[in-house]
Amino acid sequence: MKKHNKLIGLGASLLMMGASMITHADTIKIALAGPVTGPVAQYGDMQMTGAQMAIEKINEAGGVNGSQLEGIVYDDACDPKQAVAVANKIVNDGIKFVVGHLCSSSTQPASDIYEDEGVIMITPASTNPDITERGYTMLFRTIGRDDQQAPSAGVYIAETVKPKNLAIVHDKQQYGEGLASVVKDTVESNGMTVAMYEGITAGDKDFSSLIAKMQKADIDFVYYGGYHPELGLILRQSAEKNFDAGFMGPEGVGNSEINSISGGASEGLMITSLPSFELRPENKALVEAFKAKDQDPSGAFVMTSYAAVKAIADAIAMTEGTNTEEIQKALRSNSFDTPIGEINFDDKGDLEKFDFVVYEWHADGTKTAVK
Amino acid sequence: MLEAFLYFIQQLLNGLTIGSTYALIAIGYTMVYGIIGMINFAHGEIYMIGTYASFVVIAGLTMLGIEYVPIILGCALIVAMIVSSSFGWAIERTAYRPLRGKHRLIPLISAIGMSIFLQNYMVLGQGARDVAIPPIITGGWSFGGGDFQATLSYMQLVIFVVTFVSMYALSEFISKSRMGRACRAVAEDLKMASLLGINTNRVISLTFVIGAALAAVAGLLLGLYYGIANPHIGFIAGLKAFTAAVLGGIGSIPGAMLGGLILGVTESFTAGYFSSEYKDVVSFSLLVLILLFRPTGLLGKPDVEKI
Repeated sequence: MKKHNKLIGLGASLLMMGASMITHADTIKIALAGPVTGPVAQYGDMQMTGAQMAIEKINEAGGVNGSQLEGIVYDDACDPKQAVAVANKIVNDGIKFVVGHLCSSSTQPASDIYEDEGVIMITPASTNPDITERGYTMLFRTIGRDDQQAPSAGVYIAETVKPKNLAIVHDKQQYGEGLASVVKDTVESNGMTVAMYEGITAGDKDFSSLIAKMQKADIDFVYYGGYHPELGLILRQSAEKNFDAGFMGPEGVGNSEINSISGGASEGLMITSLPSFELRPENKALVEAFKAKDQDPSGAFVMTSYAAVKAIADAIAMTEGTNTEEIQKALRSNSFDTPIGEINFDDKGDLEKFDFVVYEWHADGTKTAVK
Repeated sequence: MLEAFLYFIQQLLNGLTIGSTYALIAIGYTMVYGIIGMINFAHGEIYMIGTYASFVVIAGLTMLGIEYVPIILGCALIVAMIVSSSFGWAIERTAYRPLRGKHRLIPLISAIGMSIFLQNYMVLGQGARDVAIPPIITGGWSFGGGDFQATLSYMQLVIFVVTFVSMYALSEFISKSRMGRACRAVAEDLKMASLLGINTNRVISLTFVIGAALAAVAGLLLGLYYGIANPHIGFIAGLKAFTAAVLGGIGSIPGAMLGGLILGVTESFTAGYFSSEYKDVVSFSLLVLILLFRPTGLLGKPDVEKI
């Protein structure tokens, strides 16, 4: 009897496998790879929100070439090692399109695998310049590069802030250090000197020594290259130590969590960030759709993720197939109408044009454009 | 000149603050090692649980409208110590006691497993993101005039005082009380102590409970000092505290205190006079050097041969 049960079980599971194959046979799967867990999971949320909305909208409009799109979430926790494991899993699962990864340090190792396996990857968030400087054909991004973001920060510091003693601090990671070095080059080419250039360890909690050092060097403005957990703590501890320099950071620090981490000391922080795509008049209906689902369309990577899915879907429609070699050519040679505007990819896979804006951040989570 | 001196004092204070919390966590490693010769890798997670427990209490009391700081701190401290101690006790009962007397590596692996389990338990229970509380103890004294002022915040003072009191209480307990004497006897020779009628299992449980309670104190203090916690803070804190314990001589309680302070001050001076980037490089090079020239650590006894 026992044996019999096993056989039935086996048969049932085979049936189920068959059933699941049938239902999935005519969907086009898109892997959504990003941090669902870990310290920067909030950005992963933005990415998944935007991408899932795009998939939903495209499916409502009849899908692509008669097939429905299906988004499958993979969690890389913004950890380079896990990103490689995720990339291998995506390849093994036979998925041909990836929207992700999010952190530059995850995108870089994962893209090696996608390039070898002919999987198209569009990152909606990684801004490190090196990523697209390696001559890869399968790799694109729907966001600007640090060498576009950091110069706007550097120029703003040199021309508007004009601090006496500037400190540049970074978290020694690809994203943060990349930004910090470009900001340094920019302000130096504008005739300023950098009084202090120093790295910290990501995940560190105690910055009291660094703050004392900056106080001693009489620093009055700090550019921080990195993410919000560390900058939040630096702001909080600076306030406790009466260190009242101005601070500026990239879009990676601009989210509401920095307010609770810094205990309100984030008021007046300057950030460079993406333009507020949700304010474009063309996106009004889309913004309503997000609000109807109780989602926030103003997250930095929501619209870029939407654009990444849209570009993939349009390119699939143009080539009338899923041959990734043809699709990457179509992506390069056409322009795409997305919520972030009309976009064109250049030969490297970067956007031909992308503007960063300087904002002033407020402790209630809002920001106002200053430039 | 004065400015350089004030800067030195500032970095020393910063180093002693962080160092005293390392010392509190390090005691848990060193006591467990001293008694059963095992490294409790899940100890960093006990610290993390202590931080979460105190955050829950602080958030809860603030929500109830209680704003008198000593009451908040007192409640948070007691609850964190109780919660962490129960975890410490339960870990020993479930993950280590059944493996006692087996090969030394087996409880070690079990400890690593327990550490991963607790991290993920907290991720599932509380989410993986940073949780933050607003600053409760603000302000401080500034001294020195001119361009640079050294600051001792009230929070730092609280850390010094609470650490000192806990350490003092622990030393008194170990040296004066009956249970403390039993602890020392078991550390000296477990088998002999049990032959002489000491309930060794109870002593071992007690060690875990004391270590966990001190880790909870550190959890509360660091939680208030930094204002944030996430399920992974235990790993780095545990690693640093373990280093402090080894530096001071693992198995020795004064060694753990000394090791913690030295590690904290080294980190602070490296960051202050050299560069934050080399903070960990210098502290861990110091560890390697001390182990090369004094393999038992600064205050360790040479005769221990446990892993």
